[in-house]
Amino acid sequence: MSRVALERSTHGLILGLVGLLVVLAFISLTIGPAGLSPLAALTGLIDGDGAAGLIVRSIRLPRTLLALLIGATLGLAGAALQGLLRNPLAEPALFGAPQAASAGAAFVIAFGYAGATSFAVPVAGILGALVSIGGLVMIAGRRASLTVTLLAGLALASFAGAATALILNLAPSPYAALEIAFWLLGSLEDRSNDHVLMALPFFVASWLLLGINVPAFRALTLGEDAAASLGVDIDRTRLMVVVGVALGVGAAVAVAGSIGFIGLMAPHLVRRRVGSDPARVCLPASLLGAVLLIAADIGVRLIPSNPNATAIELKIGVVTALIGVPFFLVMIFAERRALEGASS
Amino acid sequence: MTASGDLACLKTANLSVRLGRALVVDGVTLELRAGELTALIGPNGAGKTTLVRALAGLLRSTGQILLAGKAIGELSARERARQLAYLPQGHVFHWPMSVAAVVALGRHPHADAFSPLTEADRAAVERALAATATDKFADRAVTELSGGERARVALARALAGEAPILLADEPTASLDPRHQLVVMGLLAEAAHRGGAVLAIVHDLTLAARFAGRIIVMERGRVVADGAPRDVLTIKLIAQVFGVEASISDSDVGAIPILRRPL
Repeated sequence: MSRVALERSTHGLILGLVGLLVVLAFISLTIGPAGLSPLAALTGLIDGDGAAGLIVRSIRLPRTLLALLIGATLGLAGAALQGLLRNPLAEPALFGAPQAASAGAAFVIAFGYAGATSFAVPVAGILGALVSIGGLVMIAGRRASLTVTLLAGLALASFAGAATALILNLAPSPYAALEIAFWLLGSLEDRSNDHVLMALPFFVASWLLLGINVPAFRALTLGEDAAASLGVDIDRTRLMVVVGVALGVGAAVAVAGSIGFIGLMAPHLVRRRVGSDPARVCLPASLLGAVLLIAADIGVRLIPSNPNATAIELKIGVVTALIGVPFFLVMIFAERRALEGASS
Repeated sequence: MTASGDLACLKTANLSVRLGRALVVDGVTLELRAGELTALIGPNGAGKTTLVRALAGLLRSTGQILLAGKAIGELSARERARQLAYLPQGHVFHWPMSVAAVVALGRHPHADAFSPLTEADRAAVERALAATATDKFADRAVTELSGGERARVALARALAGEAPILLADEPTASLDPRHQLVVMGLLAEAAHRGGAVLAIVHDLTLAARFAGRIIVMERGRVVADGAPRDVLTIKLIAQVFGVEASISDSDVGAIPILRRPL
C-alpha cells in the first residue's frame, strides 16, 4: 500500500462516483426494448405523461433504482463483513448468504405461502441469510483462520444450494419451479415499484446497522482485545453486522435473486485508491457497488442474446459471478501467504 | 505502604478467573499505584495474561476490581477505557493504516465516534508520537514497519488515550535487545509521568533493571510482590522458575544471572 493511498482524500473519489452514478442511472433509464430517444425518456421520467412516462416510470425506473440500492447495499455489506473479520476476502456470497436467502425465499414462493411482492419473501430471505452469516461468524469466532472461514462458507453455500434444489423438486407446480430457478440466477428484469418499496425499508435498516459500526471496524484493526479495551462492545458489533448484512442480502435476493461478488470487488477496488482505513472505505465501497451493478445491468441489456429467445436476457447474477470469481481467484493468489499461514 | 491513599488507581480483592473448568487466576489481591512501573513475572501458564485481561475488563471474573475507587462493572466500557489502556501481546495491525491513524485510535474512548479529532485529541496523539519517536514515520503504513517500530506504534496507541493506568502484555516479546531497552524505558517514562504501569515481562534482567516493583505469579496466585531486590532472590527463582541463578550487584540494580535449569 503506497503512502499516497494512505493520505489521499476520499472527497474526490466520492464526488467522482456520485457523478458516475448519475450518468449511469441516466443511461439505464434510456435503454430498453421500447426504443425511446434519451430526450423522450427524460421527459417521460419528469412529467410521467403518455406511454413514455409509463415505460420510464414504472418499468425502467424501478430497475435502475433496484440496481442502485442493491449495488450500494452489497458493496457496504462486503466492506462491513471485511471490517468485522479484518479480512479483505470476506464476502456475503462466499459465506453462502445469497444461497441461503434464495433457499428461504424459494421456499415461501414455491409452496405458495406468498406472492412474489409480499413482505414474506424478503423476510424469508433475511432469515436464510441470517442463518448462514450468523453461523459463519460463530464458526469464525475469535481466532479462526481465513481458511476455516472460507471452508465453512463453502459448506454453507453447498448446503443452501442443495436445499434450494430440494425445494424446487418438491414444488407443487413445475412451472413455478422453472420460474424460481431463473429468478435465482439474479436479474433486475421486469421489476416494479412494488419491489422497490418492499425492499427499501430493509436496505435502509441494513445501512444504519452497518454504518454506525464503522468506528468499531477501525478499532478492530488492533484486534478484538485491543478494540474491546478501547470501549468497543465486540459482541454487539458482531450481532449488528450479522443482522445488517442479513437484512441487506436477504432483501436483495428477495427482489433480484442471487447477485454475488459486488461486496468483494467494490471494497477491494476502493482500497487501492484510498487505503485500508475502514472509515475511508465504507462509503466509497457502497457507491462503487452501485456503480458496478448499474453498469452490469446496462451490460446485460446491451449484450445481444440468442435472437430465437429474444425475451431472455443474460442474467445479471451470472455476469457478476463471471467477473467476480476470476477477481476472487486473483485475490486468493495475492493473499495466498496469509491463507497458507492459516491465521488471520 | 498502607492499603489506602489516593495513589491506588487499581485495586483487586480476591480476584479469580475461570476459563472453562480451570481456575486460572486464584484469589489475587493487589493494587497498582500511580508513578510506579510494576513488572508481572511468572512461568508460562501462571495466569499472567489472564489476570491482565481480567484487570482490563475483558474477562468475566469473581472478586473485586476497583478502578479509581469504583467497581469496574459499574463503569461503562467508555469510562473504563478512559481510565485504563491495554496493550495486548503481538502488536497486531490488520489493515495497512497509517501510523498516525492507528495512534489516533487511542483517542476512541474520548472522541464522539463520528466527529473528527478535537484539538485536545490531536495534541495527545502528537505527544504519544513524540514520546515513542514514531512521529518520524507517522505517515507510513503500519504493516510496512519493522518489529521494533511496530512495538513503538502499538505503545504510542496505548499512550494516546492518556489513561492513568496502562497494562501491557509482553511488550518486549520478539524485540531485539535495543528495542527491549527502548520499550521498557518508554514504560518507565510513562510511570514517571504519573501513570500506573503494569507490564508482563519474561526477561528477569529487564524486570530487575526497569521495574520499581515486581509481582510474581505461579499457578494463578501471587507468590511475591515487592522491590526487585527483595523479590528476585536465588531461592524464589529456583522455586518459581526452576532455574539456578546468582544475583549480581551492579550500578543498574541487583541483576539475576540465570545459570542452568534445575
